[in-house]
Amino acid sequence: MTDLLQATSLAKKFGDHEVIKDVSFSVPRGTVTAIVGPSGSGKTTLLRGLNALERPDSGIVQIADVSVDFAKIRASRRGRLGSADRALLRRYQAHSGMVFQGHNLFPHRTALQNVTEGPIVVQRVPAAEATENARALLAKVGLADHADKFPYQLSGGQQQRVGIARALALEPDLLLFDEPTSALDPELVGEVLDVIRQLAKEGRTMVLVTHEIRFARDVADEVLFIDGGLVVERGRPRDVLDHPKHERTQAFLRRLLEV
Amino acid sequence: MLATLFLLAGVFLAPPAHAATDKPSGLPKTLRVGTEGVYPPFSYYDASDKLTGYDVDYIKEVGKRLGVQVKFVETPWDSMFSALQSKRIDLVANQVTLNPERKAKYDLSSPYISTTGVLVVASDNKSIKSLKDLKGKRAGENITSNWAATAKKNGATVVGVDAMDKAISALTQGRVDAIVNDKLAVKNYLNTKGTKGVKIVATTDDKSESVFAARRGSSYMPAIDKEIRAMRQDGTSQKLYDKYFGAKAAEKSGTSDWQVVKDNAWPMLKATLKTTIPLTVVAFLIGLLIAVLVALMRRSSVLVLSWIARVFISIIRGTPLLVQLVIVFYGLPEIGIKFSTFISAAIALSLNVGGYGAEIVRSAISSVPDGQWEAAETIGMDYRTSLRRVILPQASRIAVPPLGNTLLSLVKDTSLTSMILALDLFHQAQIAAAPTYSYFALYCAAAVYYWVICFILNHFQGRLETRLNRYVVR
Ligand SMILES: Nc1ncnc2c1ncn2[C@@H]1O[C@H](COP(=O)(O)OP(=O)(O)OP(=O)(O)O)[C@@H](O)[C@H]1O
Ligand SMILES: [Mg+2]
Repeated sequence: MTDLLQATSLAKKFGDHEVIKDVSFSVPRGTVTAIVGPSGSGKTTLLRGLNALERPDSGIVQIADVSVDFAKIRASRRGRLGSADRALLRRYQAHSGMVFQGHNLFPHRTALQNVTEGPIVVQRVPAAEATENARALLAKVGLADHADKFPYQLSGGQQQRVGIARALALEPDLLLFDEPTSALDPELVGEVLDVIRQLAKEGRTMVLVTHEIRFARDVADEVLFIDGGLVVERGRPRDVLDHPKHERTQAFLRRLLEV
Repeated sequence: MLATLFLLAGVFLAPPAHAATDKPSGLPKTLRVGTEGVYPPFSYYDASDKLTGYDVDYIKEVGKRLGVQVKFVETPWDSMFSALQSKRIDLVANQVTLNPERKAKYDLSSPYISTTGVLVVASDNKSIKSLKDLKGKRAGENITSNWAATAKKNGATVVGVDAMDKAISALTQGRVDAIVNDKLAVKNYLNTKGTKGVKIVATTDDKSESVFAARRGSSYMPAIDKEIRAMRQDGTSQKLYDKYFGAKAAEKSGTSDWQVVKDNAWPMLKATLKTTIPLTVVAFLIGLLIAVLVALMRRSSVLVLSWIARVFISIIRGTPLLVQLVIVFYGLPEIGIKFSTFISAAIALSLNVGGYGAEIVRSAISSVPDGQWEAAETIGMDYRTSLRRVILPQASRIAVPPLGNTLLSLVKDTSLTSMILALDLFHQAQIAAAPTYSYFALYCAAAVYYWVICFILNHFQGRLETRLNRYVVR
């Protein structure tokens, strides 16, 4: 199987705080990778790094045919990038779609408009085609009847599913999820996980940060356990989650099972 | 920023003042004459809304005799000489009193009318017959005027009154015993309001003469003086005097305030529709554009841009609007940049709206959560698309209420342009009030107009807010 994503030696500091120290991993096309680890271990930072929302200080990431060497992307003192770098990052970002923990839907647009926004405005897909496509996606996430509602008129679980449809609309090669269910009431978690499970079945390539260990065991092909900005353990779910070798992994899982 | 705006606006630069060849008399083909239009009976608008008055008719006649076209440019007294210096006008015909200071600074004609002071008392007063009788009496005067000085010199106690109508009513009500004031002004008032209850008992020795004024070195005066002499000799001067100060001039006496307001309702509405509203609309739209640009510059990571924006905002918010208006209107012509009245007013007001609006827009943009920028970025939007499609629509919801306040202030601030001769609603009220002395009634009427505009705007603001709020939880 060919790798869709290949990350090599990623590192990121916030001030003096080394949040990601030296992380390398790859994600084969059509597989699901789950990232687990204690709070503050750097999971979100790593995921945002893969999407260049938070640029790593160094390291190389290749997604599909675009490769970015972050050490070479140097911003000016005040955080501005050159136009070539900006164009490269734009191409790089186009390969992945992001689903946020707090959904970040556009509040002034209906569910349908949230989904069509990217295709129409960025990809210049004709409106009729984009709308048809968006309706199909909303139907797929179980929201066919809610297309014309504003985000505030939807439940948390529904909002998160619109967020997934919005990411899917751009047809990215890779989907990134940052704890897509952790902001939800427990009874709403299931409907969102079902959608993700469905996507896994379709063979989408996904990287997801999650605290739902049972769910990770279910859908993931590979699990990365991260602590202190390093990959402590990796492997098949049943190895890492059921028979962890590393002491830190064992402690983390024990704590999770206690609650 | 300012400089670029002025450059941009340079497209509207007024054409050169008068390219036409000068007459052999040294006068331009078209003589632009500054006059107040609110100073009856010298310069005012008559009942049919035509500029008229002693000074107006006089200079018109002079122009006719010299074969030049006279074009009146209405100018408030306080900016009359700035207008002369900045070449917006060529001549002042507005009761310029001859004095040595003026003689040193301007080209002055020979006098075309002269006046003295008069002593006015109540009709039943038998004790005051001359200035000497003022000793120990109360005189109603504008305390900074020379008439107050004359009254004091003759032993009177000065009671401050700031306008002719108030002085006369103080006299008839017995709150003062006498008034010393300009003969022509008194006659005009009595001609307008009726002479009931007061009489003129004496004249003073002070004599004041009125002249036309031009910029130094104009070379107009020999020709103008020759015509003034001729008009005095052939009786034209006297005829004009009788028209405005003679017994027959009393034709309009006793018009009620209500009638004045009714007569002026339409002219005031016209001024509202022709100047106040268009000025508000233009200044607000351009001002909003400036506000958004400056707000973005202020947020910019390019140091120079954000500093320019800061300085601009600080200057606009830290200086009076009136000063800004005067700078645009009289300051810029001094360095060779000249706009029409409307455009000057629009520029000054837009910059003002831009300065205040920038801070509003900036804080509205900051109030949109970072997650919105990030979501826009992950679906591939660049900075400008993110702004246009995601950030500004949400910021506008936050910005509309405070911008609504800015708009209401702007509506009222347009009245300040009456200082720089735009014919707005408030200026129209001044024009109508001057010949009738119905200041209070007409200013109340103007207030009603402003209030109605604001009321309507407020209504639409409410609807806009409802529309913008449709996507948030209620
Ligand atoms: N923008 C930032 N500036 C400074 N420090 C940051 C920033 N973002 C994250 N950090 C720090 O980096 C560390 C890792 O944060 P991160 O959000 O990646 O953790 P996480 O593994 O996602 O945790 P959680 O499970 O609680 O979401 C934390 O100590 C956090 O305080
Ligand atoms: Mg996190």
